[in-house]
Amino acid sequence: MSIRLYRFLQAFILFALVVFIGFKLISGTLSLYINMQYMPLTVFGIIMLAIMTFVVLQHLESKTDEDEHHDSGHYHDISPSALIILIVPLLIGVLIPVHPLDATAASTRGMNVSAPLVGTLQTREFQSAADTRNILDWIVIFNSTDDLSPYVGQTARVTGFVYHDPRLPANQFIVSRFVITCCTADASAIGMIVNWNQSADLKESSWVEVKGPVQASKLGGQPIPLIEATYVQSTPQPDQPYLYP
Amino acid sequence: MEIPTQRLNISRILIWVILFGVITIILYSSLPSSIWPWLGQRLSVFATVFLGIFIEALPFLLMGTLSSGLVEVFLSDDWLARSAPRRALPAALVGASLGLIFPICECGTVPLARRLFRKGLPLPAGISFLLAAPVLNPIVILSTATAFGWGRMLLWRLGLSLLMAVSVGLAFSIEKDSANILRAPIFPIESIVLHTYSANETFLQKIQQALVISADEFFEMGRYLVLGALLAAILQTFISQSSLLAVGSGPILSVLIMLALAVLLSICSTVDAFIALGFLGTFSFGSVLSFLVFGPMVDIKSILMFLQVFRRKTVFYLVLLPLLMSLLAGLAFNYFYA
Repeated sequence: MSIRLYRFLQAFILFALVVFIGFKLISGTLSLYINMQYMPLTVFGIIMLAIMTFVVLQHLESKTDEDEHHDSGHYHDISPSALIILIVPLLIGVLIPVHPLDATAASTRGMNVSAPLVGTLQTREFQSAADTRNILDWIVIFNSTDDLSPYVGQTARVTGFVYHDPRLPANQFIVSRFVITCCTADASAIGMIVNWNQSADLKESSWVEVKGPVQASKLGGQPIPLIEATYVQSTPQPDQPYLYP
Repeated sequence: MEIPTQRLNISRILIWVILFGVITIILYSSLPSSIWPWLGQRLSVFATVFLGIFIEALPFLLMGTLSSGLVEVFLSDDWLARSAPRRALPAALVGASLGLIFPICECGTVPLARRLFRKGLPLPAGISFLLAAPVLNPIVILSTATAFGWGRMLLWRLGLSLLMAVSVGLAFSIEKDSANILRAPIFPIESIVLHTYSANETFLQKIQQALVISADEFFEMGRYLVLGALLAAILQTFISQSSLLAVGSGPILSVLIMLALAVLLSICSTVDAFIALGFLGTFSFGSVLSFLVFGPMVDIKSILMFLQVFRRKTVFYLVLLPLLMSLLAGLAFNYFYA
């Protein structure tokens, strides 16, 4: 491969990465992969890649193969494998449809009943009104409070996807969300048990809104909130399918 | 003379493509049809996890290659060789604390370390830098403190990482000839860019050169990030974590499991503290600590990058020594500190 072709392909892949990640950023699908708290880093990355594209192209313009040949002794060592491997993320991103983590991922990862990140305790969950709490807030309360009596009987209203845990009877399911600290590599599924007679009719991974009084229950020996559902309604997938601690 | 190798490469690629096609068709026709929806669901989980790791790690890799490019262009060769301490212990200590100046994670340390080696950084200093910098740097100190508070977990993590990095650095100082440790660069980076830096070059030209070098290094090191992320995503998609956790009790097994997770998950050191926090409920203090100490030094990505810089035997010891020390530390905590 000649050095000019190599440089050209390099610039092309760099630019494709700029477009790919830039598109994810603008369209909002970036939040399906990383915690948006780290978005500034991604912006830095896009800018760096764009500058590199520009500089590599300019470098290409400013020299002919002849020049490069004088400058360098042995550029035949250039291997195209680096170019090919860096196309892989682009291929995966383009060919496999964008999809947030769902019940399939929850079944491999397991329901993390003892809340992740209990250490980053904030008191906001404790003062917040019961029906504004999300699933993570409830899990944090159940893992950090010894005396649950003030919370039992409060009416919860939460949104999550349906997960049929094999440990549960037919009239129950788990309303679940993924918690993302950094990126999808550290995603862990959390959830609340829901008592609902038509549980079996609910499609796995479909999104529902659940409302009802909260009880204390156990799953695998760990405390977990249970909702005596008064209604379960299907709802569109939220713009932000994950929760962030 | 370059044409034969090039043809060989293309025909080899062609063979792989054809093989891949044949295998796909055979699999498609022979497997039961019920497997496809199952596989499709897994595939989308896999893609989401893979792109998550890739997008999250990309800026850190870019920071590392940018530092490397700037070091190459702006740091004169003899300055580093002259001012770096000669004796092994001071060299290892200086190397281990370099991370405080170059705040990068393990995706960035390998390219920078290689560059510093070529600029004449002594071997013990470079090895200590490689192992300690992913932990002993401002970003990681802050993220660990955010997760665990300014307490014993943070202090033990920093202390043990420093101790281990310096001792491995010292162990390598016995070898005087760095050619036995380092691998000759496959990819002649400086030959692609002009390697004569004339004194009258403008600042802008130097920046331009630094960026071309970073671009080359981004491609060279980036492929290991991609391969590591692929492997980590496959493991996360197909191996259930609960089965790992189920066997993960007991003082010895818990440490072994956490060490294995540190390698397999390949999480960036800047954020691994948050993940470790999630394990603290299930796993003992000692095993979580060993995860936090070992993970930044060795994981799938970094092993692949090490192989690019060091000889195989060196990589073997670079993995084994930290592994044994982390294991020892984890066990000691489980038995004597809990």
